[in-house]
Amino acid sequence: MRMKAPMAPVLRRVFGGSLVYVGAIAVAAAVSASFIVAMHGDVLVAFRTIVISSLGSFSGIAQTLNKICPLLLGSFAVMLGMRGGFVNIGVDGQIYLGAIAATGIGFALADTGLPAAVMVPALLLAGTLGGAAFGAIPGALRACWGVNEIFVTVMLNFVAYYLTEYLSSGPWNDPVSGEAISVPIPDEATLPMLMPRAGAHSGILLAVLVAILVWWLLSHTVFGYEIRAVGANPRAARAGGISIPWITFMTLSLSGALAGLAGAIEVSGYHNRLILGLTPGYGVIAILIAFLGGKSVGGVAVAAILVSILMVGADSLQRSVGLPASAGFVFQAIVVLCVLLVEAHSARRRGSRTMPHESPRLKSPPSPPRG
Amino acid sequence: MRGVAKRFGDVTALRGVDFTVAGGEIHGLLGENGAGKTTLMNVLSGLYRADRAEIAIDGRPVVIRSPADALAHRIGMVHQHVELIASFTALENVLLGREGGRWQLHLDRHRHSVEAVARRFGLAVPLDVPVRTLAAGVQQKIEILKALYRGVEILILDEPTTMLTPQEVDVLFATIRTMTAEGLTVIFITHKIREILANCDRITVMQAGVVAATLDRAAADEAILVEMMIGQRPSGMSIGTPAGARVAGAAPLLEVRELVVEADQVARAVDRCSFALAGGELVGLAGVAGNGQRELAEALVGLLPAAEGSIAVAGSEVTRASVRERLAAGLVHIAEDRIEGGVLPGLSVTENLMLGLHRLAFRGRLYDRRAAGDLARRVVAEYAVVAPHEDMPATSLSGGNIQKLMVARAMMLAEITGGRVVVAANPTRGLDVRATEFVRSRLVDFVQHDGAVLLVSEDLDELLQLCDRILVMYRGRIVGDLPRPEFDAYRIGALMAGTRDEVQACA
Repeated sequence: MRMKAPMAPVLRRVFGGSLVYVGAIAVAAAVSASFIVAMHGDVLVAFRTIVISSLGSFSGIAQTLNKICPLLLGSFAVMLGMRGGFVNIGVDGQIYLGAIAATGIGFALADTGLPAAVMVPALLLAGTLGGAAFGAIPGALRACWGVNEIFVTVMLNFVAYYLTEYLSSGPWNDPVSGEAISVPIPDEATLPMLMPRAGAHSGILLAVLVAILVWWLLSHTVFGYEIRAVGANPRAARAGGISIPWITFMTLSLSGALAGLAGAIEVSGYHNRLILGLTPGYGVIAILIAFLGGKSVGGVAVAAILVSILMVGADSLQRSVGLPASAGFVFQAIVVLCVLLVEAHSARRRGSRTMPHESPRLKSPPSPPRG
Repeated sequence: MRGVAKRFGDVTALRGVDFTVAGGEIHGLLGENGAGKTTLMNVLSGLYRADRAEIAIDGRPVVIRSPADALAHRIGMVHQHVELIASFTALENVLLGREGGRWQLHLDRHRHSVEAVARRFGLAVPLDVPVRTLAAGVQQKIEILKALYRGVEILILDEPTTMLTPQEVDVLFATIRTMTAEGLTVIFITHKIREILANCDRITVMQAGVVAATLDRAAADEAILVEMMIGQRPSGMSIGTPAGARVAGAAPLLEVRELVVEADQVARAVDRCSFALAGGELVGLAGVAGNGQRELAEALVGLLPAAEGSIAVAGSEVTRASVRERLAAGLVHIAEDRIEGGVLPGLSVTENLMLGLHRLAFRGRLYDRRAAGDLARRVVAEYAVVAPHEDMPATSLSGGNIQKLMVARAMMLAEITGGRVVVAANPTRGLDVRATEFVRSRLVDFVQHDGAVLLVSEDLDELLQLCDRILVMYRGRIVGDLPRPEFDAYRIGALMAGTRDEVQACA
């Protein structure tokens, strides 16, 4: 077997991987451009609008930062689950639960006269715990009885949604609004602003801090190693003495905690109340981002930023090119499809390269005859 | 076949191979794992497309692009592992894809022709029983029947004897002779020299993607073939003698009493097994695949729960202990299947090596990359793992090197925990001669340092060569316990096959 020069494969791993994504995004841009043309829009104007509205002004940047925060936390929640081999579809539900817990604590502490330095952390902690608890349910079910977490998290999304509707239109409802919106949380419970005039709250700092923590957890702790081992090959991990139920429970709970924190930040930093529609499907977009980012910490962070820019920019498309704002979602979908296609293609090429090492059938022989 | 070349990415599997088979002969294709035997035959049977190949049948050039093309030229291949649908009957499997009728099954319409083919070639198989209930040898006959029913005249058999008992092997070769007497041509792929010498008319030896030689049976003997296969004489690697450094009367390192393991559909995969391993003892566990060896091994290391009975390591009970506790107690495992049960794909060589060690080697809760890297470099050097860099993904290594890594991991665990018992399940399966010798020498070395090894293997030759003692399993029970002086391949084969009088004699 010929061996390559020591560095070459490492380089190919680092750069070859991202080249694939650059190519995919180029293809996606081309497809999106033809979509814009088909809608009788001006391609260059559309692309420029996206960039300028999201990055071209302080308020645009503020909007983008505010958008990155829940998307970054949400997609890290999904990515953490994926690393352990779990699919957390329930980020939206966990965001709602975090928001509910944060709002509840905000109301409970309303007349205590506690300073913001206590109130805000209390809200964030409550939201994190709320999300963790909501992630712990599928975690425990999967760990103890092997219940598929996909179904549980999807179903819990409905539970969280209707619980939010009940609270925001029932006991906590703000009668003035006439909608499913709660009364505001006290001023002491709101996150300090990062860019007060432009409207960016400081949640982005927290999100970045948490992202770094997740990276550190995965790459520099025994616990993170165990999560990755279980995600890579549960059978081997088990044979290595790792408790699969424990890792399952902890990973899904942690994943929920990240989403719950996102919900708390949305309440404390952005809406200052519990509202139905607090998450416009962040959980679903987070899954796409986690895929786009190739499950790597850096990749997911970059993808979250790009998607945030696209989302904020797409809102302005209607004014400039007459495209509906939902065009932004079309572009996202095109990007994801292109990345998946390119990935599948390169996976097949990798597959044929590894063939001579192992017999084509990697599985053990069929189960034995027993007369 | 002339000038056949095939590359997989950076790896050249075949570099211009010429290969000729005469009609009606049994042609042995011999070579180490990875020499290109199977690749060459996969090209002939249309499974792979060669980068370059000229193929002529009866002097006429043909192009083979798919298994269907190959079949049209009456070429068929039976693969190493049976590829039948387990819940279908033999008849349904043979007729798969040729059931006839547009909407309705008309199996019975074809029954006569299937039976005729079976009679003609001496392939007596029960046609109406689900194949999963049949022994491996019978399943293989069904595979052959399936090929012959499709009118195959050049039949390729890829390592057909790996899963069979010696008795079943004899039957297989009798069948092959009947087939060649009926005018078929059989190409027989193997790495077992003895089988080739006993049965083939002509022999082609492959080595590292080229044909080393094609010779008549009369011109071949074992020494010549070994030399051609390996390219050079293996020096100082042969492990002909077992360790034999047993300490008489020493307390057993591993003691299993009345162990019962329940698994899946089978009520008792392991049925009241009792045995003990002393330090310095290399004990083999023989049996046809699926008679409970795998479950026994997994129960020992804690992957399957014991329903009854007890397991003790060096005198302390571990029957209910977790895998981690057993590792800490020094009960170490080399997984049955390195891909399914051993390697962590996507993780680096280092990270793979740390699995199991990670709780013992790191002092705190942090994954110490530097310590892990140091350990990995030491192990990679000591075990001669061919890895460009220890941060490479482990799955980018070749099968043999992955297995070396798995063995290294087990041995490091044993070293760190003071472990004395290794349960090794088929540790040399699919490895080339050199890697096989290496793994075996490590096991023997471990035993010579007073460890105990339970070697689960489907390769009887391996057990006969290495072990001090062989336990034979049949349908979940240990039906034989033979010390080295009583080793006899046919007797063990009979026990493996559950031949009644032998079982009773030993039970």
